[in-house]
Amino acid sequence: MKLKQTTPPSSALPPKPRNLFPVWLAALLALLWLIVHDLEISFETLAYGVADMGEYFSRYSKPDFSELSRYLELMKVTLATALWGTVFALVVAFFLAPLAARNLAPHPLAYRAAREILNFMRAMPDLLLALIFVAALGLGPLPGALALGVHTAGFLGKFFAESLERVDKGVYEGVTSTGANFPQIVMYAGWPSILREALGYVLYIMDRNVRMASVLGMVGAGGIGLALHDTLRMFNYGQSAALIIVILVTILVIDYASAWLRRRLS
Amino acid sequence: MTPILIWRWPTRNGLPPLPAIASVVTVLVAMWLTASLVEVDLARLIGSLGKMAAFAGNMFVMPDWKYLPQLLGKMLETIEMTFLATAIALLVSLPLGLLAARNATPHLIVYRLVRDLLSLMRAMPELVWALVFVSAVGLGPLPGVMALAFVTVGFMGKFFAETIEVVDQKQVEGVTAHGAGWFQVRMFGMLPQALPDFVGTVMYILDHNLRAATVLGLVGAGGIGYDLVMSMRLFQYDRLLPIAVSIYLVVTLLDRLSDQLRSRIIHGAQAKI
Repeated sequence: MKLKQTTPPSSALPPKPRNLFPVWLAALLALLWLIVHDLEISFETLAYGVADMGEYFSRYSKPDFSELSRYLELMKVTLATALWGTVFALVVAFFLAPLAARNLAPHPLAYRAAREILNFMRAMPDLLLALIFVAALGLGPLPGALALGVHTAGFLGKFFAESLERVDKGVYEGVTSTGANFPQIVMYAGWPSILREALGYVLYIMDRNVRMASVLGMVGAGGIGLALHDTLRMFNYGQSAALIIVILVTILVIDYASAWLRRRLS
Repeated sequence: MTPILIWRWPTRNGLPPLPAIASVVTVLVAMWLTASLVEVDLARLIGSLGKMAAFAGNMFVMPDWKYLPQLLGKMLETIEMTFLATAIALLVSLPLGLLAARNATPHLIVYRLVRDLLSLMRAMPELVWALVFVSAVGLGPLPGVMALAFVTVGFMGKFFAETIEVVDQKQVEGVTAHGAGWFQVRMFGMLPQALPDFVGTVMYILDHNLRAATVLGLVGAGGIGYDLVMSMRLFQYDRLLPIAVSIYLVVTLLDRLSDQLRSRIIHGAQAKI
């Protein structure tokens, strides 16, 4: 048996898709080159810097733990600041998020207003907020906790609102059909549906706040950050190394604890 | 029709479930114990309201228009630092993410090592690294870019690895069945599936880096942060106002942009299913 040979008509072939990837890549590289040029980053400095870096980091090789008890005390303050900031954010987000969820908001105006408030809180860097609160409240961890709270309330509120928007429509309809009003819909249909997700977000924010609380001290908002800032400025490498190790270990412990908690939640 | 006014938990006895009570009580006790550490003082808080109002009042000034060109330059520098750091971090974290994904790593020991390296890199905030790098290479945007890139490699590598770990194994098998080599399987079997999520991650990191870059100037690592702190310390409200507004505008713009792009990617992915 002989197979009849057929050649496909050339016009029937679809055109080869244009691959624009190289063009985009070239544009991106050109942009990056322009940026490097504009920032006046010289590779010479970088090369010298990297060469010196080994010597520089070797200065940190002898951590000085003589004041460990003071560092641990400072770390406790830092953790407390993060906790208070997170709870503050949680309380604010608890009330704002239902208003900022498109499918729950009692009025489009309330939705817009809540969204804009959350946006504003998110857009202000927490260090700027800490600077402002330090000016108003004086030095200490309280302005730090407030700054963390305000900034992360914006994040938590947005995350919660987006979770509330993703909940199945039927859940809300079921509760609404019993004659429930807005707070009741939120309490009986909204929060219970997103509880696990919400707890995950709170853990993430707590994690983030511990990291941030350890640098807020640089603007006078209490905690371990100020000590680190001072020892680094005074080129006290031994103590700096000890402080960095204390911060690093604490953050890693929190990291693992929250990862473990999140695994248990899901 | 009367609205329902009874508040009752949907449990058997109408009381909140035990785990809920336990966690709320734990948090409250922890807050009560740490109140003295945080120096919580209601009188001080209320007393500061007047100062806050005065501060807000100070912001009602005519902006210093002559400062505007310098502000734009600094803002541009901040944005450039963000882009450059994100690009460098992307370049480094792609291979690291591949090594840190359980299904793509050449060996489990490599997987563990890279995972731990990544978590060490993202453990400390950018500002601490910026301080260290400023002491190492001097003032300017270079230490800022280094600090941003260093920390975000830790985040991006982890996110990439997690995305690669959940790719559909069937497509990987399909590519393997064609006799593809080690690299080809990862390049053509795994990466195309993970790409939409990668774009979302990069947008998130860009957002994060921009926020971080606005304050890095605080320690002399370039960007708008230095002007921000100086105008704050010197009570130059006519400069502080435009700086704060410009930070708000740029951050919000990128926030909206990345939200839109992410939702488009999610919808695109849904359309395919």
